[in-house]
Amino acid sequence: MAHVSPVTGHYVTFEIDGDEYKVFYLENGSGRPLVCQHTAGCHNHQWRYLLEDREITDQYRVIAYDLVRHGKTDPPSTREWWKEEYLLTADFYTRFIVSFCDALELQDPIFMGCSFGGNEALQLAYKHPDRFAGIVSLEGADYSPGFFLDWWQHTHANAAQVCASGVWDLMAPQSPDRDRWATWFYYSQGAEAFRGDLYFYSVDHDLRGSLADIDGERCPLVLLTGEYDYLTTPEDSRRTASQIRGAEFVEMEGIGHFPMSENYPVFRNYVIPALERLEERIADSAARAASHPGPGPEAPTSGPTA
Amino acid sequence: MSSQNPDQWAEAFRRAVDSDTELRAHGREYTCSYLLDMDEHQVAVDIYKGKVDEVAFDPGPLDRRYQFAVRASAETWRQFSEPTPAPMYHGIWAATFRRDMRLEGDVLVMMQNLRCFTRNLELLRHVGVPV
Repeated sequence: MAHVSPVTGHYVTFEIDGDEYKVFYLENGSGRPLVCQHTAGCHNHQWRYLLEDREITDQYRVIAYDLVRHGKTDPPSTREWWKEEYLLTADFYTRFIVSFCDALELQDPIFMGCSFGGNEALQLAYKHPDRFAGIVSLEGADYSPGFFLDWWQHTHANAAQVCASGVWDLMAPQSPDRDRWATWFYYSQGAEAFRGDLYFYSVDHDLRGSLADIDGERCPLVLLTGEYDYLTTPEDSRRTASQIRGAEFVEMEGIGHFPMSENYPVFRNYVIPALERLEERIADSAARAASHPGPGPEAPTSGPTA
Repeated sequence: MSSQNPDQWAEAFRRAVDSDTELRAHGREYTCSYLLDMDEHQVAVDIYKGKVDEVAFDPGPLDRRYQFAVRASAETWRQFSEPTPAPMYHGIWAATFRRDMRLEGDVLVMMQNLRCFTRNLELLRHVGVPV
């Protein structure tokens, strides 16, 4: 019999502000939920290798969803969305992810997002540190201007090719052709969402001046950024991490802005230790809380700065 | 830097474009004219239906018309054309955002041809640059 992947697909339906969202997600594995957010204008196939990595799925229930308007998650059927300009806001994006986790009744998940998902990871650390056991921000920073461009939807150009080839340079030239072209292929499918996603990425997401209010001890946070990322450079992520108490940053060599999709063998050498580090810190945090019970979950924990 | 003289380089560039598998598969409508300004030298290129129509090396001030230009220092072009370029020299977007490369002229034409133009310039990693 031909090989059948253990990855399964499901839909879950929930409401936000009276609108109904039927959200598609792929999942595999068991253990702590590891909730994975794809990049702007893309979909959950970017996580195709991680979803089948036994070293990870033996410990985690990996859940990779399609954000609304991406992949198999349609725009809400309850809205005349075709009459609106799509502009993703930090407020909606954050509520969508928390609602998704609530709908699946996920307990103590780790959130991992890349690019606009890496920026959103910082928003979650800022606004919902108690909903997540830990957070991984890939290619994320406090602010990332410059990519909210009309070229992504220009009526006189082939938007599919502009989006796909417009992000080509975000990948490292040494990443395998097969996986760079798979990532290109995904990007040729998402042109109608890409520009609106980048409204969040380059405009609405702005945590400059707020990083000191993020507590990377209370909700352990790791940032990973590839050296070939020209949009959110390693310097951007390093600067961001340096201003967040308890945050840790690791630069990934020989890889770019889509690490899980463009070169998984390189990425896993970084993400597995990052998850191990998060688990250590989550356990330390729990031990501290048990030995020094505080007044409640809103109280910041104390401890050494990583 | 390519060790070829200008005529040899132009011919190598033409052969690389005209025989490229990707451009043959996807470049039926790839048509535009552009200038590569490498500071020490300029190259004006006409592409018609996926193949090189003409290459002009160091054209005179009013010799050529072109739709868009990619300008950068000779050093940036040398880095760009390395077989495995260093970060921030690895593409026209990267070098424009983070180094001294500039995209000028009718950038819409570049966007209309972006997939093929990107591949076209990556062939410089096989041909080399004349600076």
